[in-house]
Amino acid sequence: MTAGQARSGTERHEAPGPASDTAPGGGDGGRRDLADRPVSHAPLLVAAGAAALLVAAPLVLGPYPVTTATRILAFAVLVLSVDLLTGVTGLPTLGQAAYFGVGAYTAALVGIHVTADAAAQVIAACVAGLIAAAVTGWIAVRARGIVFFMLTLAIGESVHQVADTWSALGASNGLSGMPPIRLFGSPPLLAAGFVYWWVLAVAIAVFAAVTLVARSPYGRTLRGIRDNEPRMRALGYRTAAARYGVFCLAGAVAGVGGALWAAQARFVSPGDLGFEVAALALLSVVIGGAGSLWGPCLGAALVLIVRDNLSASLGGHGPLLLGLVFIAVVFLMPRGVAGLVGARRHPRTRTEIPS
Amino acid sequence: MATYLVSMLNGLAMGSLLFAIALGLSLVFGMMDVLNLAHGAVYLVGAYVAVALVADGGGLAVFVLAVLAAAAAGAVLGGGLAALTRAIPHHLDQALLTLGVALTVAELLSVAFGNEVHSIAAPAAVAGSVTVAGETYPVYRLLVIGFGMVLAVAVYVLVERSQLGSVIRATVADRPMVSALGINTGRVLVGVFGAGAALAAVAGVLAGPILGAQPGLDERVLLLALVVVVIGGLGSVRGALLGALVIGQVQAVGAALVPEYASFLIFAAMALVLLLRPAGLLPAAGTAVRV
Amino acid sequence: MTSATTPISATTPILELRRLTRSYGSLTAVDQVDLSVVPGERHALIGPNGAGKSTLFATVAGTLRASAGRVVFSGQDVTDLPESERVRRGMVRTYQHASLFLDCSVLDNVALAVQRAHRVAYRFDRPARRFRATQAAARRHLDTVGLAGRQYDKAVALSHGERRQLEVAMVLAAGPELVMFDEPTAGMSAAETERFVALVQRLPQTLTILIVEHDLDVVFRLADRVTVLHLGRVLASGTPPRIRADEAVRRAYLGSAKTEDLFIDAGEPQ
Repeated sequence: MTAGQARSGTERHEAPGPASDTAPGGGDGGRRDLADRPVSHAPLLVAAGAAALLVAAPLVLGPYPVTTATRILAFAVLVLSVDLLTGVTGLPTLGQAAYFGVGAYTAALVGIHVTADAAAQVIAACVAGLIAAAVTGWIAVRARGIVFFMLTLAIGESVHQVADTWSALGASNGLSGMPPIRLFGSPPLLAAGFVYWWVLAVAIAVFAAVTLVARSPYGRTLRGIRDNEPRMRALGYRTAAARYGVFCLAGAVAGVGGALWAAQARFVSPGDLGFEVAALALLSVVIGGAGSLWGPCLGAALVLIVRDNLSASLGGHGPLLLGLVFIAVVFLMPRGVAGLVGARRHPRTRTEIPS
Repeated sequence: MATYLVSMLNGLAMGSLLFAIALGLSLVFGMMDVLNLAHGAVYLVGAYVAVALVADGGGLAVFVLAVLAAAAAGAVLGGGLAALTRAIPHHLDQALLTLGVALTVAELLSVAFGNEVHSIAAPAAVAGSVTVAGETYPVYRLLVIGFGMVLAVAVYVLVERSQLGSVIRATVADRPMVSALGINTGRVLVGVFGAGAALAAVAGVLAGPILGAQPGLDERVLLLALVVVVIGGLGSVRGALLGALVIGQVQAVGAALVPEYASFLIFAAMALVLLLRPAGLLPAAGTAVRV
Repeated sequence: MTSATTPISATTPILELRRLTRSYGSLTAVDQVDLSVVPGERHALIGPNGAGKSTLFATVAGTLRASAGRVVFSGQDVTDLPESERVRRGMVRTYQHASLFLDCSVLDNVALAVQRAHRVAYRFDRPARRFRATQAAARRHLDTVGLAGRQYDKAVALSHGERRQLEVAMVLAAGPELVMFDEPTAGMSAAETERFVALVQRLPQTLTILIVEHDLDVVFRLADRVTVLHLGRVLASGTPPRIRADEAVRRAYLGSAKTEDLFIDAGEPQ
């Protein structure tokens, strides 16, 4: 995947001049700032290959790794929502775990009281995440930068406290007793592999949708806000509305992630929407490279494996390692994994700039 | 009426503690735009210092020793954080760094002290109760309120009336200008960072007999401090005081009347203030444009 | 040194300032300025440093709020509208220091202006490149300013002069009726200035232009009317020849010498 990206990137910069609608080369390979370039098929092939590997995973892996992979996928959806705000729009957030939690609780409540149908749960969680973000987001989007960051944390923690004290949600005990999901009238999906495939399908759909948003005119608007918001206003943009819009969108995405999380765990607790989850989602984006969409997904896998699987060998103190990783990442790789891949191109671009 | 008085006193005690905690967070933010997410962890360090030294009560002298030890630990942590964040240019990266420190410190504390809930007894000399308007009320909490009042006056005199204070306020309003005047803002920043963290750690000891010590408390305290800062106005001492008093009351009255929805009330208070006064109730001069 | 190419008639003004005032505390930077600009006019605003040009410009553009007085555009009072709403009504400005989306491609920079004017800026139902009309319009504007060959480069790779050209393309793409240039030739080389003047002269005559400029040569080549600001007030307003000959302008400033020397001396920090 990385090699393909790097190669298509170099091609672009070696032939910048004649490229036009009819030029065959180029390919934006998911890079964020050239949404208008003609796309080559190499990244698509890589993506298809990766998807095929993911689909085949349950056939070769045991149930425990499959469960882990399911959790990673659900968490990756949350990370995508953080990336939509942080990477694409330039709004660092610590509040997305709240909407993830809203989605998870919604899905669990729907599962317990209404239907075990997984699709209905996902839709309900998506709507709930959207509404929760719409209700709370206007407070946050009035601010920018570090103040926005602080407000998202305050909102996220408030929602966490609500979950922790509200008896209708089981308060600090959480919500258990969610039945196994069903799909379109199927019998309950008890095998880890089937749940995995469902979660994978939804996660891929979300990934495709977020990719589409990032490459659409709206995505361009969001990148414009990230790069130079005053200029956007001077072009006639109502930037607060645009930021509010993406905040709601990210809330909906996080809500879907929550439903997927609940589908696998069949149990939701206040810990699922705590500070640590929000911090780990942000860490995944930072490790993976803000703005790239695939990088943060890899970051999500790494972070969750460290927290859940290496934790045991660290006496349950995975967060200690993650805290140190956080500090190391800030000092060592300010642009994340995707930044490392991109960095290979940069010396080349610079020499080509006529001064 | 009398129960309401008790709630109000509880709110005042909570407000005093919150003021001590939020002050450093607010000033550090106002002066250098650093959102110190490790502030709650620093508080928790103070609380565990109390667990280690005075968990079972003990004399007033030991308690004072615990306060001093926490202040020293807080100052060291704050100084370290200041040095680390100053090595990094970008504000988001600085916040991420403090987040990493927060996770690390909180986890180290849980390694050292375990995950159980520790309660801390007030020093024996002040562990009793007095009768206030027909209700018995713990002496210790009255002392905490007194501490808050003394702290408020002391900080007011220091920040609003002294030479050092005028440098601090000017740095909040326009740091490059203060640097251009030849004043070493770096030293001021490290000093404020260290002092603010020391206060938070002291608050951790003082709050011990009220809130105890347990994993996760750092998040709750950080949240409350953030809300106080947002409500009061970033970088503003008077704002931090007013915000702390408001949130202290909202918390105490909410806990007495509608315990299940107390956390809603905190959020609602913040939303209401931001709706009416986006820069906070008493914003510091020169910082309103940032919000 | 053109004289008025557009007849300055009694047409309804497109931009009208009525006793516009902006103060900073006790300092009044813009003091009760009355000004009207008719459609198609190329109006220049000059005056030495501290005359209040930049403040007046920012107040008209909406970057600063007026302390008193009104800004009327196309018959509508826009005094209380934020900058973005004024842009939507056709008042578009450039920046003294080119303000671009440096991390985005040159084409994206212009497309951002176009897609807002085309009302597709919030669409996410298909990739941006599939909005053919928007992409084509953006390329056309790049072509107008001579940047067609650099559409896929990042804006950060452009030279100073090219960034100014890109600014002009973005302004044109925003669908303006009134273009406000804020010291457009500041820091340009002689050749770049020449290219800029030619570019502005090529713009459609229906476009109204308000330009704040230090370079009086540029001013007198481009403007139909010139307004001189001094200490926040309008000192004189008229056609370039009248301003050159204006005794009040000379007297008020130095009592001797040529007006242009004054502006050049005062305009450049020592």
